[in-house]
Amino acid sequence: MELTRSEIILVLGITALAFRAVPQLFFVGEKFPETWDRLLRYLSYALLCGIISTTLFMQGASLESDVAPHRAAALIVAVIVARKTKSAVTGMLIGTIVVSVLSWF
Amino acid sequence: MKFATRFRQGMKAAIPVWIAFVPSSIAWGIAAQSHKLTLEEVLLLSAWVYSGPAQFAVLGPLAEGKSAIQVLVAGTLMNLRFLPMSAALAPFFSGVKRLPLLLSSHVVSASSFIVPYLQFQKERESEPQTTGDQVAKGYNNLAFFLGVGVTSFTVWVVGSTTGFIVALGFPAGFEEPLKFILPGYFAGLLVVEMKGWTMPLICAVSLIAAIPGAATSPGWGWLATSFVVALVGWGLEEWNLHAAKSS
Repeated sequence: MELTRSEIILVLGITALAFRAVPQLFFVGEKFPETWDRLLRYLSYALLCGIISTTLFMQGASLESDVAPHRAAALIVAVIVARKTKSAVTGMLIGTIVVSVLSWF
Repeated sequence: MKFATRFRQGMKAAIPVWIAFVPSSIAWGIAAQSHKLTLEEVLLLSAWVYSGPAQFAVLGPLAEGKSAIQVLVAGTLMNLRFLPMSAALAPFFSGVKRLPLLLSSHVVSASSFIVPYLQFQKERESEPQTTGDQVAKGYNNLAFFLGVGVTSFTVWVVGSTTGFIVALGFPAGFEEPLKFILPGYFAGLLVVEMKGWTMPLICAVSLIAAIPGAATSPGWGWLATSFVVALVGWGLEEWNLHAAKSS
């Protein structure tokens, strides 16, 4: 399937709208089963972690071994700070500072 | 109650969502610029897809020119979570015509869903069960939802555009921090939300398993490992729940 980037975004938007609209238009009064709700939630957590990992550590099929330790350290710091302060923004800012400092060495 | 009054109530209730959307939308705009997306594509993604996690998921594959199927699968799997959110809101809009429902459903998002949902539940519990005008109540709720949803949507689109423009002004040599901002933010969001054992376990295993997954197949590997990890984690929790019920 040869689509331009804009066409891909348009199709993605249509699927997003379908998932948002279909329950409201056709399933009013139907309760979404709790177990499926849990599965979809876990799926989005797992996908987010998969993306975080591939964005930070992979270049195609290869591990970016020269920068991966710096980024892993910054990620660990960001996660700890976010958890302690209950603020994702604070975690992100501290992690970004750590990765900047480590990248200078 | 007038539509405008109820809309304003929704706007006021949405202020915490706007505050949350400002850094995440700016971070996404910065990441999109560093991935060399155009301003038009950033606007289209933010306004038409309007989903932070899905936008994050498709950023890399889109920028690297991966196949359309791969981009769509990653984004669609992420957007599946709109099904339960939308279904949970649906009963509060009884009597509303289909066209306004279709149009308003576009502004359902993870953050802007929870505010009206909790508000409607609170109102339902505090009001006596009457057979009053359900249609008027449906439209009243829709006005509140739009007050939250439309304003949050606007903040998201303006924020991501601002992030994109701000990133244009970064000098060379800032690639590392720019690359870290968005994954760092999402990792922070996940740990702030974490409860119980299942979610941290799923996140940790998925984070690690994605590396050999991507090494095996750069396009599909991480998607497959994440899917399997989520399925196994969910299966284990279901099994535990059944065991707890039967004992």
